[in-house]
Amino acid sequence: MSAKKVALVIGSGSVKCAAALGLMKVFEREKINVDMVVGCSGGSLYAATIALGWSTQKAIDETLRLWTRDVTAARNWGAYLQLFGLRRFDERFGLVNDKLIRRRLSEAFGNTNLGNTQIPLFITATDFYSGEQEVMHGSQYSLQDALRASISIPYIFAPHKIGERYFVDGYLSDPLPVGVAIREGADVIIAIGFESPYQTRVSSILRYAFEISSITSNNLLQSNYAFHNLAHHSEIIPIMPEFEHRIHLFDTDKIPYVIDAGERATEEQLTYIRKLLES
Amino acid sequence: MEINSRTENDVTIVAVSGSIDALTSEQMLAAFMKEIESGAAHLVADLSGVEYTSSAGLRCLLTVQKEMRQKGGDFRLAGVQPNVLKILKLSGFTRLIKMYDSVAEAAASFSGE
Repeated sequence: MSAKKVALVIGSGSVKCAAALGLMKVFEREKINVDMVVGCSGGSLYAATIALGWSTQKAIDETLRLWTRDVTAARNWGAYLQLFGLRRFDERFGLVNDKLIRRRLSEAFGNTNLGNTQIPLFITATDFYSGEQEVMHGSQYSLQDALRASISIPYIFAPHKIGERYFVDGYLSDPLPVGVAIREGADVIIAIGFESPYQTRVSSILRYAFEISSITSNNLLQSNYAFHNLAHHSEIIPIMPEFEHRIHLFDTDKIPYVIDAGERATEEQLTYIRKLLES
Repeated sequence: MEINSRTENDVTIVAVSGSIDALTSEQMLAAFMKEIESGAAHLVADLSGVEYTSSAGLRCLLTVQKEMRQKGGDFRLAGVQPNVLKILKLSGFTRLIKMYDSVAEAAASFSGE
């Protein structure tokens, strides 16, 4: 349909990232092809399902099975010992035992690597010791490792070790990694990004930490997005679904609502996207 | 896209309506540059009729601001609609360009400068 290279970038945003499935419903109907998918944090899960060519229904079913409240239910007691100085503190700190999420990722994605997806897939994480963005792409990365690294929510999941390096959540280096699509030569970049919600009340040290994290990541999102807007030679089209209700980290029951919001937000830009691709 | 310009009390107001994107931003930039080259020192973009801006639109607004500042003038936005405001906020532009609810407020902000 178009000689322009189209990238879909899905930023961090937990369950809200399911809005990307609504976008893909519209793109499939309109036969708009995506040439690459970039995902970060929660967005990496949906980026993976899109890059693998899963149907929207399969993506919904799998992500509902994958991301449930019980993935954070089991405590990592070792981290509590670290907190109270009863065990040597190191980078493997995370309050939640990640066995279940690793098992779920393994069940969902098996031995797939980042070199054998239908659409080229790029997943971002952050190097714990340098703070630099790591762009995972190609057969040297297992998909489940890349996803586990990208969703290493600070304090919740321990940084994930790949080789000799530790990785934390991709949002810490860029919550909406549009720069990856620019570097990979995309012309039209469709970007779905979300600001982290602010706490309405801070009643625990964890909520305090989340609030600091939201302040930092939202400012990072704005700075990077501004820079990428100015740096890109063509178009970055933000798709910003409207949510009337607050969507929490594990509100998977709201996924159909989120997908609808993504579909509506995409429909609003569709005429322009079509014109742009045809121009 | 529709663009109409007028001058009131030493303030040039450029009213834009439609979408500011890669297909229309050059037209908008040309309209603003015409006013800048004509010597406008106080420039207001009335965006009350704009429903959407993409990255091309943002680049255009920033170019206008830079041109105005280089020439010793200033550029302000008025009537920014919620959808556009969201994008301006996301891209940090609300920290770079002064914005007012109405054209009258934007025009009045130049008085005394």
